[in-house]
Amino acid sequence: MEYIEPVLLTRDLEIGFVLNNHKKKIIYSDINISAGKGELVALIGRNGVGKSTLLRTLANLQKPLSGEILINSTEINELKRIEAARIISFVSTEPIRIANLKVFDLVALGRFPHTNWAGRLKQRDRKLVQEAIKSAGLEGFEQKSVAEISDGERQRAMIARTLAQETGIVILDEPTAFLDLPGKYEIVKILNDLATNTGKTIIFSTHDLNIAVHRADKILLMLPHEIVSGAPEDLVLTDRFADIFIDSELQFDVHKGDFLLPVDFKGKIGLSGKGLARLWTTKALERIGLQVAEAGKQENIVDVNEKNGIIQIKLKTGGKKIEFGSIYQLSLYLKKIFSR
Amino acid sequence: MVLVLLFLLDLFLGSVRIPFCEIVKILISGEGKEEWVTIIYKFRFPKAITALLAGVALSVSGLQMQTVFRNPLAGPYVLGISAGASLGVAILMLGFSSLISASNILNIGNWAIVTAAWVGSGLILFLILIVSIRVRDIMTILILGIMFGSATTAVVSILQYFSHETALKAFVVWTMGSLGHVSHEQLQVLSFSVIIGLAISFASVKLLNALLLGETYATSLGLNVKASRILIFLSTSILAGSITAFCGPIGFIGIAVPHIARMIFNTADHRILLSGTLVLGGILLLFSDIIAHVPGYDTILPINSVTALVGIPVVVWVIIRNRKYKAFS
Repeated sequence: MEYIEPVLLTRDLEIGFVLNNHKKKIIYSDINISAGKGELVALIGRNGVGKSTLLRTLANLQKPLSGEILINSTEINELKRIEAARIISFVSTEPIRIANLKVFDLVALGRFPHTNWAGRLKQRDRKLVQEAIKSAGLEGFEQKSVAEISDGERQRAMIARTLAQETGIVILDEPTAFLDLPGKYEIVKILNDLATNTGKTIIFSTHDLNIAVHRADKILLMLPHEIVSGAPEDLVLTDRFADIFIDSELQFDVHKGDFLLPVDFKGKIGLSGKGLARLWTTKALERIGLQVAEAGKQENIVDVNEKNGIIQIKLKTGGKKIEFGSIYQLSLYLKKIFSR
Repeated sequence: MVLVLLFLLDLFLGSVRIPFCEIVKILISGEGKEEWVTIIYKFRFPKAITALLAGVALSVSGLQMQTVFRNPLAGPYVLGISAGASLGVAILMLGFSSLISASNILNIGNWAIVTAAWVGSGLILFLILIVSIRVRDIMTILILGIMFGSATTAVVSILQYFSHETALKAFVVWTMGSLGHVSHEQLQVLSFSVIIGLAISFASVKLLNALLLGETYATSLGLNVKASRILIFLSTSILAGSITAFCGPIGFIGIAVPHIARMIFNTADHRILLSGTLVLGGILLLFSDIIAHVPGYDTILPINSVTALVGIPVVVWVIIRNRKYKAFS
């Protein structure tokens, strides 16, 4: 059941390359996906599964081997190159570091499909470029060279360029790669705001599952032979995320919405206590390979309490009672005991 | 302003010393001592115009190549485009000399020569394009360009070895071409070609700006990359080919001037950069020509040596800076 008209829809799409000897190299087949107006769609999958090829095909940068891509119900092949450029914009993984290229000029290149043969910017064009720069949070950066700004700022400049291009669909290939953690969150937040506030359809690929789960409206999970789609929560509840790394040791933690490495437990330990102090002590104990159980009959029992910001940690072991000033000290002691 | 000044200076200075006020008189009234009038109108004036055209054409073709190949070290001389033009002319003069009678060789028209040069340089451009699609590394393409250049030079030498004496003489005279050996008729052909080439360049400023971002982005902006490259190569071949056809290879202006323009105007926008490169190219070659004539002395230095000395420091600077952070891509 569709509540919103899909802006982008594929029917039995087959993607790949035509080699020099006219043979087809099929990367992925039977792709039936859709994206609606104002949706932030995250494409997730392992390296080499064909995410970039899919995005490039959707962005009209390479021809599909077969099947259809419908943009607002129009087959993409029926659009002229310049018409397509007014509907779809693209940001690739390739960083642009041209020494003398100013942020303003880079963003202004987004006006390319709208300007005359000489690329002259009219007043409206300049206004749109300025607004795009503002939306990407790059005010004051207009005259800086794109080679001198940070990776995050450069990525925002590339996003501003797609805004200046005034397209209903924006496709980005790994916009969060190379960025530090705040940078990653910032970019995805900008994309989320844009989708919500301007009604653009934004499709991006990413390896940052955690961020995608928290921010995307829809996730396209590109598994080796099937693309599963749905709200991130749907995929968590149906346990589909686990299928991405099915051949690796990683396990999906449905509570945390992220992948964890499984731990082989070396022993059991009792734990009593409440609240945050208990939660984080549990994490620490699991990290050093101890399975946490209720205090009860355990040989070793940890008791944590938090009073006025001070954490009290006591360990009952073999009739002795030892106090620790921090979880770190506790973990050092326990490592020693359990290594024997 | 500087351009006009240097143009006049180029007229005033030369191996034969002509008093300043005499030159002004000759320029204004066209009258004066007969041999001086001849020197000014038959030699210095065409030579100054040629220097201007050569500087403009080579610099603009260098700028276009640097943008299309996204390679800061691209230029008509280093990538073997000039050598390609020589090859075109060599095939015309030497290769076809067996087909036509010896007496006709000297009558090969200027248009035939210039067309041969265009075809030769265009061919090398496309070869380099094919390689540059597969090989992304700047230095590799540069080395391959030098190889192409050496290969064409080798082919030219072989052609010389097998060719007819009269044809050989005509060709050797052609290779010695310099700014000063361009006849009035040749100058007409040259000016016309350069104007056509520049017109195409100015028509493709928008395409150049988009190509700066590389093929993927240019396509996503709605540019027909293939057609744009052909158009830009057309003007590059016309510009670099015509100059090589009549003045012989002139090195390093094509690489150096676009960088000086980027430095002075601090922009990557071709609408500004193209005009800037054009003016600076004219200035630099006029300046080199003045130096080549060593004002006050009888000797004339080869223009190619002077441009090399002017251009190489810029190229070295680009290589060193490029190691720090990539200027392109």
